[in-house]
Amino acid sequence: MTETIDAVLDALGDATRRRIYEAITAQERSVGDLAALFPISRPAVSRHLRLLTEAGLVVHRAAGTRHVYSATPTGVAALRHYTDDLWTLALNRLATLAEAAGVIDQAAAETVAAGRPRGADR
Amino acid sequence: MTDHDAPPSQEALAPIVKTLVLRCRRELAFSLFTTSMADWWPLASHSVSGSSAATIRFAGRVDGNITEVAPDGTESVWGTVTHWDPPAAFATTWHPGTDPATATHLRVEFTAVDETTTELVLTHSGWETRGDAMRAGYHVGWDAVLAGMPHQLGATRPPIS
Repeated sequence: MTETIDAVLDALGDATRRRIYEAITAQERSVGDLAALFPISRPAVSRHLRLLTEAGLVVHRAAGTRHVYSATPTGVAALRHYTDDLWTLALNRLATLAEAAGVIDQAAAETVAAGRPRGADR
Repeated sequence: MTDHDAPPSQEALAPIVKTLVLRCRRELAFSLFTTSMADWWPLASHSVSGSSAATIRFAGRVDGNITEVAPDGTESVWGTVTHWDPPAAFATTWHPGTDPATATHLRVEFTAVDETTTELVLTHSGWETRGDAMRAGYHVGWDAVLAGMPHQLGATRPPIS
């Protein structure tokens, strides 16, 4: 169970692999399709697809003469959960920035309200 | 809980909703989220350029783009604004590094709690549409182990306070 979770996190933790996976969630793709979409070689695409397959996020099948990869239903939920965690991280960073900006903004507002610059002789 | 052959539950693909209190006034909160996105977004790990030195240009108007500008000048559009109502709310398509045709949708609302505090509600939706598109042509059974995974992933992350 732990290995499965780790495999998904590893799979989605690489930016290029995550983007490849998102492209597959949109529609099934062949290795050739993906190599055309991203600035990486076909062997590199295949390596990413192998990791995504091992993590249970994609499966492949023969479609006529093409070999295509499609996302498993589980995969969209996993991607959504990954994004949920990303927003938690990003918004916490925004909150920290807002706190600092708020302090400066507050001080400036108080200075204006007081009608005189800070440190001026009283 | 989840049938082996059932598609993801409605809940599993429901919109992501995040609520956050920002300790600054509403106009500033809106501005920090939009114009200053590069100052808080984790660019090093989540950007097309992979560089913390990238900037984000946020064109604040309907049909304006949110654009990542890499240090070498390369531009990548992350989304296009669909609703612009400062300082109350904005909405945008969201497709950082991916195909605009399959974008999800982001809506952010700002409510003044008082003069120095703002409540932010972020809704990130469109997951069920992706799920439907996949289910239409996909008939493999559901993996019960992975079905339970989102809850387990959740347990490893600290909650937003």
